[in-house]
Amino acid sequence: MKISLRREQYLELYYYMRLNRSLEERLVTLFRQNKVVGGLYSSLGQEATSVGTAYALEKRDWMAPMIRNVGALLVKGYRPRDIFLQYMARYDSPTHGKDGTSHFGDLKERHVISPISMLGDLIPVMTGVAIAGRYLGQNIVAMTWIGDGGTSTGAFHEGMNFAATQRAPFVCVVENNQWAYSTPVRRQVPIRNLADRARAYGITSYIVDGNDVVAVYRVAKEAVERCRAGEGPILIEAKTMRMKGHAQHDPAEYVPREMFEYWQARDPIARYETFLSRQGLWTEQEKQQILDRIEREIAEDLAFAENSPFPPPELAEQGVYCEDAYEIKPEWQRPIEEVMPPKASVQAVWQVEDFGGIAEGAVQVIEAAAAPARDGTGRRQVARTPQRGKKKLSARGKGR
Amino acid sequence: MAHVTFLEAIRQALFEEMERDPAVVCLGEDIGVYGGAFKVTAGLLERFGWERVIDTPISETAIVGAAVGMSYLGLRPVAEMQFMDFIACCFNQITNFAAKSYYRWGAPVPIVIRGPSGGGVHGGPFHSQNPEMYFVHTPGLKVVYPATPYDAKGLLKSAIRDNNPVLFFEHKFLYRRIKEEIPADDYTVPLGQAKVRREGRDLTLVTYAAMVHTCLEAAEQLAQEGIEVELIDLRTLLPLDRETILQSLRKTNKLLVVHEDTKTGGIAGEIAALVCENAFEDLDGPILRVTALDTPVPYSPPLEERFLPNVHDVVRAARELARY
Amino acid sequence: MPVDVIMPQMGESIFEGTITKWLKKPGQRVERDEPLFEISTDKVDAEIPSPASGVLKEIKVREGETVPIKTVVALIDTDGATTSAAEATEAEEQKPAETPASAATGAEPGPAAPVPAAPAPQPVAGEDGRRIRSSPLVRRLAREHNIDLTTIRGTGAGGRISKRDILAAIKARATAPAPSVAAGRPEAAPAPLRLETPVPRERIYFGRYEVQPLTAMRQRIAEHMVLSKRTSPHVYSIDEVDMTRVVAVRNQAKAEFEQRFETKLTFMPFFVRACVEGLRAYPTLNASLDGTNLVLHRELNIGIAVALDWGLIVPVVKHAEEKNFLGLQRAINDLAERARTKKLKPEEVQESTFSITNPGVFGGLMGLPIINQPNVAILGVGAIQKRPVVIHDAIAIRSMVYLTLSYDHRVVDGAIAHQFIGKVKSVLENWQENIL
Ligand SMILES: Cc1ncc(C[n+]2csc(CCOP(=O)(O)OP(=O)(O)O)c2C)c(N)n1
Ligand SMILES: [Mg+2]
Repeated sequence: MKISLRREQYLELYYYMRLNRSLEERLVTLFRQNKVVGGLYSSLGQEATSVGTAYALEKRDWMAPMIRNVGALLVKGYRPRDIFLQYMARYDSPTHGKDGTSHFGDLKERHVISPISMLGDLIPVMTGVAIAGRYLGQNIVAMTWIGDGGTSTGAFHEGMNFAATQRAPFVCVVENNQWAYSTPVRRQVPIRNLADRARAYGITSYIVDGNDVVAVYRVAKEAVERCRAGEGPILIEAKTMRMKGHAQHDPAEYVPREMFEYWQARDPIARYETFLSRQGLWTEQEKQQILDRIEREIAEDLAFAENSPFPPPELAEQGVYCEDAYEIKPEWQRPIEEVMPPKASVQAVWQVEDFGGIAEGAVQVIEAAAAPARDGTGRRQVARTPQRGKKKLSARGKGR
Repeated sequence: MAHVTFLEAIRQALFEEMERDPAVVCLGEDIGVYGGAFKVTAGLLERFGWERVIDTPISETAIVGAAVGMSYLGLRPVAEMQFMDFIACCFNQITNFAAKSYYRWGAPVPIVIRGPSGGGVHGGPFHSQNPEMYFVHTPGLKVVYPATPYDAKGLLKSAIRDNNPVLFFEHKFLYRRIKEEIPADDYTVPLGQAKVRREGRDLTLVTYAAMVHTCLEAAEQLAQEGIEVELIDLRTLLPLDRETILQSLRKTNKLLVVHEDTKTGGIAGEIAALVCENAFEDLDGPILRVTALDTPVPYSPPLEERFLPNVHDVVRAARELARY
Repeated sequence: MPVDVIMPQMGESIFEGTITKWLKKPGQRVERDEPLFEISTDKVDAEIPSPASGVLKEIKVREGETVPIKTVVALIDTDGATTSAAEATEAEEQKPAETPASAATGAEPGPAAPVPAAPAPQPVAGEDGRRIRSSPLVRRLAREHNIDLTTIRGTGAGGRISKRDILAAIKARATAPAPSVAAGRPEAAPAPLRLETPVPRERIYFGRYEVQPLTAMRQRIAEHMVLSKRTSPHVYSIDEVDMTRVVAVRNQAKAEFEQRFETKLTFMPFFVRACVEGLRAYPTLNASLDGTNLVLHRELNIGIAVALDWGLIVPVVKHAEEKNFLGLQRAINDLAERARTKKLKPEEVQESTFSITNPGVFGGLMGLPIINQPNVAILGVGAIQKRPVVIHDAIAIRSMVYLTLSYDHRVVDGAIAHQFIGKVKSVLENWQENIL
């Protein structure tokens, strides 16, 4: 698939990544000033993944951001003020202070679904979005993100499997940023590439350098279009790095210093700046214009956010239930008759193609392709296991 | 008017709602080709096709999660739990995703999660439970538990048309045992309204689901002894129809609550608190509860019989209260 | 659907209220939040807004009746169907209009034989010391119908007095002849009037007269005054203060103040400010007595007596120590205004720690006020008048006022009282604060 970008689009990608970072830097200041209510999460180092993937979506497509997808929210049309307001728990925030962080969405305009904190739960939900979109004839694609850690949940598996059986137009971006809170990927899964899991679901997957925004965009665009064409769900693993702790409170001392250095040298924004200059895609003046614009927008939006009031206490009691008067209307883009009887009626029998057997008496071995897990010391754990015995191992596990 | 079973009434509601509104779709395990473990969805696939009647993998979380996602695009999915016991597997999707969605960010989740529940059929610990109270404790959900074919049909229609996530419990003991004449035309029964099934002056008996029938039988017996029971069928547990309970209590001044759910944390405790807070000075006796034991549902018939409340238990408690 | 209108709880310690006026008639339409009736409680008189829109279906508690909080006093039909409204009106007309004689406020003393004194509070135990077994319902009915439970034989389980027993007792009493003075036990006496009448009634009812039942508020005031006088040995100290400076400050600032802040400039905030200074210096006056404990309040919440056409109320300027001059003036004006329009919230007439009354506005040269319990002192402010006074052996014309302090001698002695007045006087005479 040939995917090309126009010059303005290259610059737009830069704008979003840079806005993502500047906005989060600003949030850190607010956090220190005690203006952020609750915890603050950073996507430093992951901007290319967030922005590049979301940039592949069209307006009609749907997405659900995770906590580190501020970039995706900006691409989908939210403004810095929305994010400031959410973190500051103000009345003008998209949730009016009822929820914080990236927990907000918009069914009508931007097609954004609010996540919940429980990791993995968005996977089945976005599968449902994809199925519903197809049913309504909207020809849309649903996308969400999940961390390396989040792929270990049951919901992730149930959702991916269901999406696969349904061939749902759903793109799942696994942001492998090497850490899940303090736990490295190796302790999360015993395989080298999270993308390998796609094989078990019988779906296509990609692995991409998550710090190269153009590569991320190209892969995402291809995946989105393949999904739209009806090829079924696609999993993209973006290899990247969480350059801060899990949240503001976490100094991430458990991350080897050399690892930070390795990834620091691959900072997605610095790399992209070099790329743009080398390719002659911008002038120094244009860069400055973008930076000035970002500074101005952030200042304006922050001023707005800081002037927004806290919600009135009585709001706490309102809106638990949706009133009957609220009209819920699906947007049909196919003739309704197609899904109504008698047109919809079918013969209810299963087609079972090859009856599921293998050659008589046959045996197949499928060797583990996985890299052996290593523990925190870097020594191979597998070699030690038989000597130490099960009991000791589990006792050690508990102590950690 | 037609004479139909509890199960048939539910099936009719699904049929008629799918016929009425193309936004209504069904999903669940073995609901399509097979027609559901209890055949509640039999015939739906033939009539409405593969897109609207979806056989899913055994993934309760995926079923409810996908239903939530579908509802965001304006559909009104009805998700089946093969047994309501398995709803524990998707607790998170229900209580954290569906229930809080509208409150948190204004996105309504018009889904129904329905399935067979309850004991008395020797289903053992995992096919007999009444898990409704896990959800009654969750603001944002509605919880319905009907007792008659008429109500089951009318309430399920209301549940499907409701803009909120509704849990619809179908007591499997009633599926084929209870029959009733129901009107042929489209009707609904509003959510959140209890029904006085029998009027009486001596004490108020609040119950729901299969216990309604147990209590009606008990009430007959008590009437022979001159004790007139006012029997309230809650029908909806959340939101609870407080007014009907309080109104009756203000008349009879005595309250007995009966449920098949276990005792601790059952709705009887909630109702007792409601009365103490709002009508303490109308009480002419203690509030009594007759419920299942605080144990898992045992398998062997003598054990299950011991576990479940029965007519005798209800009569004894009512007598004691009337005499008080 | 009918919606209950209930007697609201106008403060934590309030357990009953009197309906003084219905603002709607049965059958009339009322909007949600529209004033529906007026009540009077121990603490506050207020207009109560309707809880719902609809038609006032039935009034259950009539004007003048006192009922416990949370009692359903009326029903509103939210469907507002015209038929039910019509029914309600008809039903209303058939009922007798007067207040039933048993209502608390309606214990109207007629020329007939005096009613025996109020019975002792409801016993918790029978005569033989046995606990009476009843139920919440039975106890409520007993209270409402003023029935002594020791007089009823219980037929419920274990001899419990049941609903049936009490209903029988109520019915029996309704058909029984009215009790005479000579009868031993005052079964079914009307609700006691809490105000005592110290002289035989014949010495009150003679010649030609008209009987006016006290309004609920008047009764409360009367009770409170008797209580205060009975509780606190009052002592009075008087001093006069030269207000010339304050008068000048006020005259000079008045126009600009009122224009800029859109609120009236009165003398009251000057006095409040001076009292705040005085109370800071002599905190014993900002206290309450609980048995043998003196409770020294950290907050300076100043009650300000406001005269109303129908009585008197003392709304409270909370945390006067934290307010600047404008803040005080605004609070005073706002409270007074809302007192007159019956819009005070119950908490706004509670928790005073010291009070000020101002008989001077009615021209009184001075007054000796009664302490507002549970305060230990109250300041009376007389009329500000120009008078000749001797200053440095010369006669000058000065604006003078008499300040009177009534204080509870259980707690406060004359020395402290005079020092306090001295401080107040000094603040006023040497007024420093810029009020604009
Ligand atoms: C089901 C669930 N369990 C635990 C948590 C607590 N938790 C929040 S984020 C996190 C780590 C997530 O790691 P990963 O999925 O790799 O995402 P990342 O933070 O690296 O972006 C954990 C354990 C949670 N939110 N949800
Ligand atoms: Mg991670």
